[in-house]
Amino acid sequence: MSDLALIEARDVTVRFGGLVALDHVSLAVAPANIVGLIGPNGAGKSTCFGVLSGLIRPREGTVRIDGVDVTRASPQARARRGLARTFQRLELFGELTVREHLVVAYRAKQRRTVLELARALPRDLLGLGNRPTPGERDVVDRILEQLGLTGVAAVSAGAIGLGTGRLVEVARALAAQPRVLLLDEPSSGLDARETDDLATVLARLRDEEGLALVLVEHNVAMVLGLADDVTVLDFGKEIAHGPASAIRADPAVQAAYLGTATT
Amino acid sequence: MTTYIVAGIVVGSVYAIATLGLVLTYTTSRIFNFAQGALAFFIAVTFYQATAVWGWNPHVAGVLTIFVFSPLLGLFLWAALFRRLSETPPSVRLVSTIGLSVALPALAAILFPDTASTVLKPSMLWSPPHEYTIVGVHVDSNQVAVVIAAVLIAFVLLVLLRATPYGLSVRAAVDSGTMAGANGVNTGFVTAVSWMIGTMLAGTAGVLLGALRGFTIIQFTLLLLGSFAAVVVARMHSLALAFAGSMGIGLLQELSASQQFQHFLQHFASPTNPILLGVRPSIPFIVMLVFLLVYNGLQEERFAIDTRMLARPMREVVARTDLPWWRRLLPIAVCLVGVLVAPEFLNGLWLAIFASGLALAIAFLSYVVVTGDGGMISLCQITFAGIAAALTAQFATHHNVPVLLAILIGAVVVVPIGMIAALPSLRLGSLYLALATLAFSQLVQNTYFQTPRISNFGQGVVVPRPGGFVGDRAFYYLLVVLFVVVALLVRNLERSTTGLNLAAMRSSETATATLGINIVWSKFVAFGLSAFIAGIGGGLYASYAGAANMNQFDALLGAVWLAVVVTWGVRSIMGALLAGLSFTIIPQLVTDHLSGRWLNLPTLLFGLGAIALAREPRGILFDSANRRRERRRRRDDRRSDAATGAGPIAEPMAAT
Repeated sequence: MSDLALIEARDVTVRFGGLVALDHVSLAVAPANIVGLIGPNGAGKSTCFGVLSGLIRPREGTVRIDGVDVTRASPQARARRGLARTFQRLELFGELTVREHLVVAYRAKQRRTVLELARALPRDLLGLGNRPTPGERDVVDRILEQLGLTGVAAVSAGAIGLGTGRLVEVARALAAQPRVLLLDEPSSGLDARETDDLATVLARLRDEEGLALVLVEHNVAMVLGLADDVTVLDFGKEIAHGPASAIRADPAVQAAYLGTATT
Repeated sequence: MTTYIVAGIVVGSVYAIATLGLVLTYTTSRIFNFAQGALAFFIAVTFYQATAVWGWNPHVAGVLTIFVFSPLLGLFLWAALFRRLSETPPSVRLVSTIGLSVALPALAAILFPDTASTVLKPSMLWSPPHEYTIVGVHVDSNQVAVVIAAVLIAFVLLVLLRATPYGLSVRAAVDSGTMAGANGVNTGFVTAVSWMIGTMLAGTAGVLLGALRGFTIIQFTLLLLGSFAAVVVARMHSLALAFAGSMGIGLLQELSASQQFQHFLQHFASPTNPILLGVRPSIPFIVMLVFLLVYNGLQEERFAIDTRMLARPMREVVARTDLPWWRRLLPIAVCLVGVLVAPEFLNGLWLAIFASGLALAIAFLSYVVVTGDGGMISLCQITFAGIAAALTAQFATHHNVPVLLAILIGAVVVVPIGMIAALPSLRLGSLYLALATLAFSQLVQNTYFQTPRISNFGQGVVVPRPGGFVGDRAFYYLLVVLFVVVALLVRNLERSTTGLNLAAMRSSETATATLGINIVWSKFVAFGLSAFIAGIGGGLYASYAGAANMNQFDALLGAVWLAVVVTWGVRSIMGALLAGLSFTIIPQLVTDHLSGRWLNLPTLLFGLGAIALAREPRGILFDSANRRRERRRRRDDRRSDAATGAGPIAEPMAAT
């Protein structure tokens, strides 16, 4: 499995002062695969995302994308290798419209190297070449449509609600055209119907475009319904790992998490 | 040598008192009081006024200013300003207190106009002091008193924070204000008291410093900068490090004046070398920069100072797109026509005032790029302008380069300098960036600007007018054209992909980074371009004035620049234009129509403007237009409520 993995974390350990947030956790995601990451509050799920996306440096362990060691690489370098993520606590661009969120993400791909950036700057200053390419318009329109955001495309992100903001986070990540997408609690703030719609979109992206997904969720039903593989964390340790059906039956998981969860 | 050590400890003690207040208010309210030095000055001048002018007994006046006036002033400022700031983003907090630091000295000059003109030195300490010799070291009673005061204050603060219920509430409020509030801690009371104590400490430092060194603004500038450096050493929160840092800076500053140190320096350069002369006043900045670099190098530990806020809408923007196109362009057209026909109605003096205003407006466009678009508070734009002006003078006068080309060269040279100034922004928060840019600014001013080649005995090196634009009117029109050109560049940038990336970075650096957008590049572009624009403005300003006089590019004047730009709108090109013009026009109006006492009125207004408008990056015009629109909308709502069923009401929009 790990030979095929698009992104893989191996034996990752993170400490915050005396607290061990992640204790030798491993995770691997293959193309066209959805991995669910569940666990109670404080289990280390978001820390795990931080390590995968390069915002947190692990004390021990490695992160690989396509087999290349990116443990010390910046978030930007990882994005360049096809990684995108959303945030549990919304990180929207308050002064941009919803559509501009997607445009920023899409264009990030066209300007990678400093040379490309430097070449684009004079054109930007002279006001040339800001018109969207047909490709950009297609991609952006399609993603807006998929997530039901077409109606609010021109609205400033500062003026939209939490649920819509969640979807904008997902849309922005998708507009970066990633191969691996990390979703941090995408369904919180969404109602049941919106959650179902989102699950449908995610499943379709996996099946049609071979997108690899890692899903941190409190909505266990959604994860177990959607994920091919599930990892359960508790106090920074992996307590179970396997196909969704096996996880559902795992007594350790039930004791630590499912038994007490009400969602 | 021991004399210098004693003097160093004494000065360090005064710095320590001010710094402890700064750390206290920062830790309780997350507001870095940029105006701590200005507060010290204001309170010291009040003390001076009471004793030297009103003839009060110095001891009574001292006790009253420190223990009654200062806490009340702190309470007032808390209620009027700081209380509202704690919910705002870090940059707003910073700009507000910068505005305060601009307004307070100006207010002092207006309230107490006699201060500057007298040389009396009232002292609440002993005068003459008693002399002692302790273990072979000569000290006097005043020095001993200051040091004891500092140690006592540090001790009391430590006990207060560690061993009292108040301290517990403070620590709870620091960890999480909301949680502490939910658990019954009166966070308002906690912060109010801390601002009262903080202001009292500023006042104590001010009165003591005045008594020791005289009541000139220079001493207070040094105090301010010394305590900023100590705060950086303390990483904003450690009382012990703040105390030690203040002592260290005071010691270094005084020791650098000692003969031994001067001898040591002479190994490297002649005693009249201005770089060496600049070392002493620059010590706080050298310390600050060194510590910023050291802390910057610490990998794992990032400064967790800026409590991140959810992206929150500024004030709800009433859609502007419902105006017809001509209505949207109207203000710009009116401004442009006004600026173009202005020379017809202006005499020579006023044409000069308008023209230098235009040159400054170009320099002010640099704030639109770095602060408005880039979201970074820079306090060294004035230094970029100054360096470029100095270089313009060098090239044009000493190397016979055509003036416009010399200006361009000067502006290009400051681009890499701007990028270096951007370095702290790559790892540190907005507050440290502001401090680092201020440090950089002071450093350049104390060294490079003082070299005889640049300063030319305070006259500045001559800069001719560009050939073909020697006449006032021709040069004026050249400035108009150049302003429009630079403004168009800025506008294009804002609408481009680079501009989108900057807007994204402004809201969330984390999300921008995870999209793969090169943040380092974005910041370099913002700083580099802003340095270039400031350089063009500085060069033109010098050329219009006829000389590159470095007094006009004083580092602390940079805070006033920022204040006036913020007042008119730091994200608007129109704001930069109006800021530039008002920066030269309003002082001239005051000179013409008011007595000398009011000379500082414009500065006071700019400072107050920055405090009032720090929250609205689009400035006073937008703010008032928005209020007007909101009022109109509410009125329309009311009217349509009243007239429900009476048919649609005509939209009165286009009429206004």
